Amino acid sequence: MKKIYFTFILFFAVKLLHAQVSKNISVNFQQATIEQFTGELETKSGYHIYYDHAQFDSLKITLQVNNQPLESVLSQAFHNTTYHYALFESKMQVFLTRDKEIRTQPAAGYFNVKPGQTQPVAPSQVIDFTTAPVKAPVIESTIENKLYEVGIKTNQLKAGKASVSGYVKSAKSGVGIAGAGLYVANSGVGVTTDQFGYYTLSLPRGKQLLIVKGVGMKDARRQVMLYNDGDLNIELQDQVTTLKEVKISADKVANVRSTEMAVSRLDIKSIKQVPAVFGEADVLRIVLTLPGVQSVGEATTGFNVRGGAADQNLILLDDKTIYNPAHFFGFFSAFNPDIVKGIELYKSTIPEKFGGRLSSVLEVTDREGNKKNFAGSAGIGLLTSRLNVEGPIVKDKTSFIFGGRTSYSDWLLKLLPEEYKHSHASFYDFNLDISHQIDKDNNIYLTTYLSKDNFRLNSDTTYNYSNKNANIKWKHNFNSRLYSLITVGYDGYKYDISSSANPVNAYKLKFGINQTNFKTDFTYYLNRNNTLDFGLSAIYYKLNPGTETPNSASSLIVPDKVDDEQGLESALYLGDKFDVTPDFSISAGIRYSMFNYLGAQTVRTYAPGLPRTPLNVLDSTAYSGGKVIKTYTRPEIRVSARYNITDDLSLKASYNTLAQYIHLLSNTTAISPIDIYKLSDPNIKPQYGSQVSFGVFKNAAQNTIETSVEVYYKHIDNYLDYKSGAKLVLSHAIEQEVLNTQGKAYGVELSIKKTTGKLNGWINYTYSRTFLKQDDPTAGQLINGGAYYPANYDKPHSFNFTGNYRITHRYSVSLDVTYSTGRPITLPIAKYYSNGAERVFYSDRNEYRIPDYFRSDFSINIYGNHKVHQKFHNSWTVGVYNLTGRQNAYSTFYQQQGGAINSYQLSIFARPIPFINYNIRF
Amino acid sequence: MKKTFYLLFMLLLVTACKKQLAISSSAKVTNYLVVDGNISVGDSTFITLSRTVNLDSGARSKPELNAVVTVKGSAGENYSLVSKNNGQYVCAPLNLSLSEKYGLEIVSSDGKKYQSDFVPVKNAPAIDSIPYVAKGNGLQISVDAHDATNNTKYYRWDYIETFNIRTAFESKYIVIDPNSGPPSDIGLRTSQQQIYNCWISDTSSNIITNSSAKLLKDVINESPVINIPSTSEKLHIRYSILLKQYALTSDAFDYYELLKKNTEQIGGVFDAQPSQVTGNIHCLSNPAEPVIGFVTAGTVAQKRIFIDNSNVPAGWAAITPYTGCELHTLLYKRLVVSSNPNIPDMTINEIYNLIYSGSEIPVDLAAGGYTSSNSACVDCTLRGTNKKPSFWN
Repeated sequence: MKKIYFTFILFFAVKLLHAQVSKNISVNFQQATIEQFTGELETKSGYHIYYDHAQFDSLKITLQVNNQPLESVLSQAFHNTTYHYALFESKMQVFLTRDKEIRTQPAAGYFNVKPGQTQPVAPSQVIDFTTAPVKAPVIESTIENKLYEVGIKTNQLKAGKASVSGYVKSAKSGVGIAGAGLYVANSGVGVTTDQFGYYTLSLPRGKQLLIVKGVGMKDARRQVMLYNDGDLNIELQDQVTTLKEVKISADKVANVRSTEMAVSRLDIKSIKQVPAVFGEADVLRIVLTLPGVQSVGEATTGFNVRGGAADQNLILLDDKTIYNPAHFFGFFSAFNPDIVKGIELYKSTIPEKFGGRLSSVLEVTDREGNKKNFAGSAGIGLLTSRLNVEGPIVKDKTSFIFGGRTSYSDWLLKLLPEEYKHSHASFYDFNLDISHQIDKDNNIYLTTYLSKDNFRLNSDTTYNYSNKNANIKWKHNFNSRLYSLITVGYDGYKYDISSSANPVNAYKLKFGINQTNFKTDFTYYLNRNNTLDFGLSAIYYKLNPGTETPNSASSLIVPDKVDDEQGLESALYLGDKFDVTPDFSISAGIRYSMFNYLGAQTVRTYAPGLPRTPLNVLDSTAYSGGKVIKTYTRPEIRVSARYNITDDLSLKASYNTLAQYIHLLSNTTAISPIDIYKLSDPNIKPQYGSQVSFGVFKNAAQNTIETSVEVYYKHIDNYLDYKSGAKLVLSHAIEQEVLNTQGKAYGVELSIKKTTGKLNGWINYTYSRTFLKQDDPTAGQLINGGAYYPANYDKPHSFNFTGNYRITHRYSVSLDVTYSTGRPITLPIAKYYSNGAERVFYSDRNEYRIPDYFRSDFSINIYGNHKVHQKFHNSWTVGVYNLTGRQNAYSTFYQQQGGAINSYQLSIFARPIPFINYNIRF
Repeated sequence: MKKTFYLLFMLLLVTACKKQLAISSSAKVTNYLVVDGNISVGDSTFITLSRTVNLDSGARSKPELNAVVTVKGSAGENYSLVSKNNGQYVCAPLNLSLSEKYGLEIVSSDGKKYQSDFVPVKNAPAIDSIPYVAKGNGLQISVDAHDATNNTKYYRWDYIETFNIRTAFESKYIVIDPNSGPPSDIGLRTSQQQIYNCWISDTSSNIITNSSAKLLKDVINESPVINIPSTSEKLHIRYSILLKQYALTSDAFDYYELLKKNTEQIGGVFDAQPSQVTGNIHCLSNPAEPVIGFVTAGTVAQKRIFIDNSNVPAGWAAITPYTGCELHTLLYKRLVVSSNPNIPDMTINEIYNLIYSGSEIPVDLAAGGYTSSNSACVDCTLRGTNKKPSFWN
């Protein structure tokens, strides 16, 4: 490292100069660094050269000079740049500076000496930089006030644009930050980083100011001198001092600027500050506070997005499909809050790379392991505990993150009455992710997930269910404009129910889903105005729709198996984000999806126009293994557009069509872990959906308040409903039990978010309706005479307030208030006496509603001190769920007991539930 | 399954809450025909006709009177049923053929014609045994049955249970003639007049079904019938159950299962949503009119067992309505002395005031009168019958 001086240089200037003859030198630099440059000049000229390394580390010098004085060499090297030199012949010293010029002489007239010696000379022989094949190394930028020079440096700026790409990373852990926004000051240009924190931005060459905003990170600026295409990694500082910053969207400007509509991003910090029922942050339940998301009740993690059914949501954990995202029959979500980085919910503009579900995509992203240091955290709650460890395997290259959770609820079961005392319930889940950087253009990510639930009622029925997922992703940058992501993975979900209480009837019922995925996604930055996304994906499904076997030697159960189902879902997609003008951009894409229903399978043909009953089976055909039985194809359209009226006001519109080839069959109110999955086959058509939406987005108060109004209309075809008394378990002809229905949904969503400040949070109001209709006379029976009837989750009015107030840096309070119209239910219209008791007679479906829902939750977060370098950081969360103790109805129903009909209301969290949670981070 | 999910709520720190609501009036007035019964083989056939009533109605149902009910055979034979004027229609044992199918035809008093599907005659196999076992907090009574011919597969049961009760005090005396004065005003009870020992009978109100369709053999093993809590008065002295077994077609089985789900297994998080139950009876005059009920035909097998108090665990203590009963001593001449000198002493006839008036029942002789207690503590006929059932031994 060279010595650094300069501020007092001017004092030397007065001590000038006894003349000395400079010797002439010859040099030939090709992309020389400053060290090479100064080293050679020092050797050849005998001068000492002083400079600040930080200012010159991005400089590359290409210069060929023959037999010229040092001053001439320097003059040519720095001509037309922001660099300057000062040469002191008397001391044999050269000082190099950037931006500020050191004058070797006092100002004109100071000594009445005429200036002139240091005037730069015109360049003589400059070799054009573009002929140099050398690639500039990746620049790691950490300092705001430094000018980073990107691309192979040229003495003269070329006209036009160049692209800059790289990773936005956490300075602390070295982990990429997904969803961070990069904006060019004073222009409409901006991009968001991908899931790995990677970005590419096309800019006019020259000096640019980049503004970088990452969730949970300090906002940062980077000054960039863009010469040519190049790489710039940006490290952001964690926001350590402002603890409870709510960041709802990845970027403040993004709300208005991006073409995406109805995308909700939440980082784990926001998720953690919302009070949860047992004190442990719940990644899925938070989704219910977002506009346009409903659920049938509290004991379920199934959610309904804009009038869609619960199985129409694609739930992805780092691109792994999680079929059952719940533990404990829905009271906990399957995602470990210590591992999760954030979630994204796409409700309307579903990118063309996603498909296979009609309503939404919920992307849950795990953090990447800390690449610099070992770290971890642990949490203790009333029913569960969790631990997470992360750290580098090879520093700055390879890291891992591990998270585990387990429950210990048996103590709670011991409090129950005798008949339930000997029950047992437990679950665990593990995440292990490894990321490895092969080189600057190649990264590999391995992510795995395993969960298991076990539940036993005394020594009677035992329930088990388990998710198993793993995938490998390889990200390759071909160049700064094109990169690819290849994903190969396996997703499995299986469950079983067994009982051996009665030796003659002892049984075990098993179900399973296996899918193998292959996916490639390419992103190509065609030019400043166009970004192309394209790729293909394939999923091979193998479903076990039910196997029953005897569970003991004395069991008389006849083994029964519904034939395995096989299917291949593949898709090809292409999308373009086209910025027509800085204020108007369009995202247009098409996804061509195809589904093949494969053998071996036996398929029944029914008499056309007649109800699907055993009597109307015309024929039954057996297909051999691997044979394509039926193919469905569908072009899916994904279009959205955004027009900026002013900097903080924009209009957006979108139109989407989607197809779904896998169906969840359930005739219970809540989605249950033992529901059955079914692939589309010749008798069960795929579900098709289309949605059109329109929105106005306005930011206020320096983008700290985001407001939006969105309206949508949605249509669904071939949604499956069930015949009265349908038997879904072990049904060998499930098409005889289900009905095709169509659905329509519409609504308006109003949202206000305040993202920064001591008080932050969001308020949402949604008016929405969802109706289903079953009017196919060949289905055998009509629900409500074929008229539209409200879906189970049709809740017209819904209001949510989620807020956090930071009293000091060590205390903050959170309040969550939810109100919604009661969900529709079917109530009887008459009673009668039969079989020794009063019975009720039901008529039209979903004609009535349960009482309105209202709940408020409160929590206090207490943090230890905030010393950054302390070994352990601990925090407490104390709160009350359902503060007012309102007995919200889950259902109201009529039940016969002791021969008479009574009316009941069931409430799930019917009283205030206090909770406490202790967390430690190391 | 139901139990499991109920447990889930218990589990949640007992946070869940099931609250009874007042039943509100039906939004729609209905008057649908309800048909209940089995076309019996080898026994009298009872068919009950009624009409649906408003949900908040005090009456359980409205009997359908003056209908014409006929059992029809697929070979064309007709058997008329006789109205019993309470909605019940009866006929003497029919000799039905196993190779034929039978149905019901009903013409209601308003002239509408109803017809059931023709159903095969399913004869129930014998009940093998009615085992019972003390489990946790109750006595679980189950049923074992089998069909060696593997034809039954679908079973349904109902039962009549009878149990013995005894009041707090055995009344040996009865008021004979209050006007005659002692000693002939009150005399010893005859055995017909005893009100200490009674029997209460009740019928099943839950639908009990099971199926062996999934099994290698047509065997029903310990299929639950009823669970009697350990504190139940039913087990206090002696209990008897008469279990009746029906064989069902698979359609009838589905109907009963759905009826059970709709009216008994409902309201839980993972319980099926209610749905319309469609039986096998149709209104020919107005096909859109719903008719409730499922007509079945066949023999009924039955079996009775007794369970004595000595058969249940010794620690089980019944909770009877007689706790807190007190025995009083009532006198013909009770001298009442007042502490107020202005009020003279009085003699009160407690027998006259309390026993003759019926507010107390004499239990036994006492010096100068009788011991007594109030009727709820002494008179078992307020709850049951003092006639010993013929099957009781």
